[in-house]
Amino acid sequence: MAGSALKRLMAEYKQLTLNPPEGIIAGPINEDNFFEWEALIMGPKDTLFDGGVFPARLTFPSDYPLSPPKMRFTCELFHPNIYPDGRVCISILHAPGDDPMGYETSAERWSPVQSVEKILLSVVSMLAEPNDESAANVDAAKKWREDRKQFEEIAKATVRKSLGL
Amino acid sequence: MPAVLLERLPLPSLQTYVTLSVIFLASSLLYTHHTVITGQTAVTLQDAVVTTTQIEEQSSSLRGWIPEPEIKEPVAGEDADIYESLGIQEPINMTLPYDNYQENFLWVLFTEAWCVWTIVNTVYCLLILLGKLIQALIFGELRVSEQQHLKDKFWNFVFYKFIFIFGVMNVQTMEEVVLWVAWFTCLGFLHLLVQLCKDRFEYLSFSPTTPRSAHAKLLGLLLVLMGCSATLLGVCVAAGFKFGLTIFAFMAAECVLLGLKTVYVIVRYLIHLWDLSLESVWENRSVYVYYSELIFELSSLSVDFGHHLHMLLWGNIFLSMASLVICMQLRYLFYEFQRRIKRHKNYRQVVKNMQARFPMATQEDLELNADECAICWESMEAARKLPCGHLFHNSCLRSWLEQDTSCPTCRMTLSERTGDQNPRADRTEAAGATNVNLAEAAAAANQGTTNHFFHFDGSRYVSWLPSFSVEVTHTSLMPGQQLRIQTSQLDSMLRQVQMMFPNFPSQVILDDLRQTRSVEVTIDNILENRLQPSRTIDLAAYREDYWENNPNSPHPQQQQEPQSQQEVTRLPTEASHGTDQMAPQAATDSNNFEVREPTEGSQLSDAVSSFTTTSQPFQSQQLVPVEEASPSRDGAVGGEHQIQAQGGRFSKSASERMSMLEQRKNALLEQARRRYLARHSEAGGDGPSSAAGHQSSDDDRVRRREVVLQATQRRLNNS
Repeated sequence: MAGSALKRLMAEYKQLTLNPPEGIIAGPINEDNFFEWEALIMGPKDTLFDGGVFPARLTFPSDYPLSPPKMRFTCELFHPNIYPDGRVCISILHAPGDDPMGYETSAERWSPVQSVEKILLSVVSMLAEPNDESAANVDAAKKWREDRKQFEEIAKATVRKSLGL
Repeated sequence: MPAVLLERLPLPSLQTYVTLSVIFLASSLLYTHHTVITGQTAVTLQDAVVTTTQIEEQSSSLRGWIPEPEIKEPVAGEDADIYESLGIQEPINMTLPYDNYQENFLWVLFTEAWCVWTIVNTVYCLLILLGKLIQALIFGELRVSEQQHLKDKFWNFVFYKFIFIFGVMNVQTMEEVVLWVAWFTCLGFLHLLVQLCKDRFEYLSFSPTTPRSAHAKLLGLLLVLMGCSATLLGVCVAAGFKFGLTIFAFMAAECVLLGLKTVYVIVRYLIHLWDLSLESVWENRSVYVYYSELIFELSSLSVDFGHHLHMLLWGNIFLSMASLVICMQLRYLFYEFQRRIKRHKNYRQVVKNMQARFPMATQEDLELNADECAICWESMEAARKLPCGHLFHNSCLRSWLEQDTSCPTCRMTLSERTGDQNPRADRTEAAGATNVNLAEAAAAANQGTTNHFFHFDGSRYVSWLPSFSVEVTHTSLMPGQQLRIQTSQLDSMLRQVQMMFPNFPSQVILDDLRQTRSVEVTIDNILENRLQPSRTIDLAAYREDYWENNPNSPHPQQQQEPQSQQEVTRLPTEASHGTDQMAPQAATDSNNFEVREPTEGSQLSDAVSSFTTTSQPFQSQQLVPVEEASPSRDGAVGGEHQIQAQGGRFSKSASERMSMLEQRKNALLEQARRRYLARHSEAGGDGPSSAAGHQSSDDDRVRRREVVLQATQRRLNNS
């Protein structure tokens, strides 16, 4: 399995290097292991997380792209769709078989035609527009819904922190 | 488990252990030597007290006997002490059977109990040192997971073999124990090495840059291991002649298991290396991998099963703890076997179905979709065609269908049991349930109606009613109702949607509305980029704009971004990532809500997707100038475009790639910081130049945000 996964990851890496999407950098942490990536995601413009640079770790299964990678932010990120431990909860990362929240259509879920780039773009749009229906972080979802102002404050602090300033 | 307890024991370090072993060995040798000498010269000699000076002499003369080279000077002194105490307390008065020194020496060495234990200890010490040597030569530093595997495997092995020796064989004499332990030590050692090789092979196959020498070393070790297991099999045969068939069967089973595993790792390794050396796609690779795995698993499971059954029946150990453990093991093996067979049946069925239902793509198809397989991103020389028109490699498609029953690209369901469309059904179960007729019916129905799980969206608001969603596929069965919706309601729904998205092509909205039959869901689809407008129209319009505005810049992308152009043409259809990234830019610039990800949109009718397919490459190339035409727009404040420019090269060397990646990361962070500081020092006021540049796109953004806000509010109200 690992052979084809490796080729595919290499192709994706190449593509992401040659044509990086705006504000996204991703690649293997160490080329000795192509199945562990780090991605830097820039908070999308004119959103709460504007300007922040958020590091995340992607772990690929050996049967990638048949199974989705796992993604986890390694920085603190207070967001309705990110678990407190940094795991990202978006439908594109869920395998078609499992449905943790019980409402996703299979059309939204992982399929081998997805790619790292698409995942990261989805994460960017998730940062821009939190979806409080599938709250991974209940506190964050509550704040987002009920106390937007405080949420914005926290987001601002997160952005600042992510830049190490 | 015993492993947990034992992990907490303060085990001595290797160095201390080796030193201690050497000390013990030396003292036992000394003791033996002394016994033999005294026994030979004068058996009746009463003066057993030896002075320390004599001993030191002896020990220095004895050094040649001691096999370990690492014996150190101070050891001799310590020996003397140990010996002294032993020698004095135990007057020697045994008679020696042989005449010559060597034979007597060995005889004493192997009859005196504590000497035997020292030798056993020495052997283990040597074995550990050998293991360390192999590790240093071939594996280097072990990774954490490898260590963990080794540890688990080791304690597991010890546990089961203990049960075997004392529970099943019920050995009585010390000799038997020693023989069995020796046998299992060899076996365990080889098992651990094979396990290590397997782990390491898997790890190495994760990296494209492994040097050849690493592969060669590992393969060499594997071959040696295979030789060892063959030798052990020879030992089994010899033992079989001596002790009978049962013992032979017990021993041989273990050997065969070891050999099988080694061969399996070697085969996988060779397949992997062969695959790496090939430039093109190796279509049959996964078939080989699958069957080698199948054969290995089934044969080793059955050997193991037979082995355990043999133990249970032979040992006459019913109603003992050992039988319980063996029964548990048997049960586990049986279920594993069953699971494997089930999986294989599923595999066979998938293959059969695939061959029956999805024909190989014709040459025309392939040329029309001059494209890569969306699963592995490699070019396609041969492919299978799904009813929805998407092409995939035979092997890629099969491995996907083993776990899911929908088209990877458009999610069209390929399963026949429409009632069984619950996506939460067991993956393998669902995958096994593919059938010809219904999928073809589904394909035919695909144009007008839906057979998606799409209507699960409805259950978003009632997620606590999970069964709610199952049946909306009835549309095709109720043409009348379908028609009614089309004529009367659809128009008003379309108008509602178009109020929000005036630039969105009405045909696309209509198509989606037919599927969703809900204004809200369709709007959500548009907002969440699941819907794809037929891009060509917008792009054509946009292109005209572009040529009008920039008549003097013919094809800037041809000098500036040859790479990206290549990338774009490489992936013209669904996976046109080159376009993905530019699409958002185009969207904001040309006043419409374009989609970032064409793939997701392809759940629309075939018409739309094929339309996009054919027209895409040229269009997306035309898009490139958009990006390039306004490079300085964001100025110093928003610097992403500069970052983008940095990603132009993909080095061949791994280290260079890594350092470049690091540089890019640092640059991104640096720029983000500068931008942040600039913005905050100016208290939100952008520089005049960039503000002006932003003006046009800001309008769109504001509008878009309003729409998004509306949608969010609506969703909130609904829930």
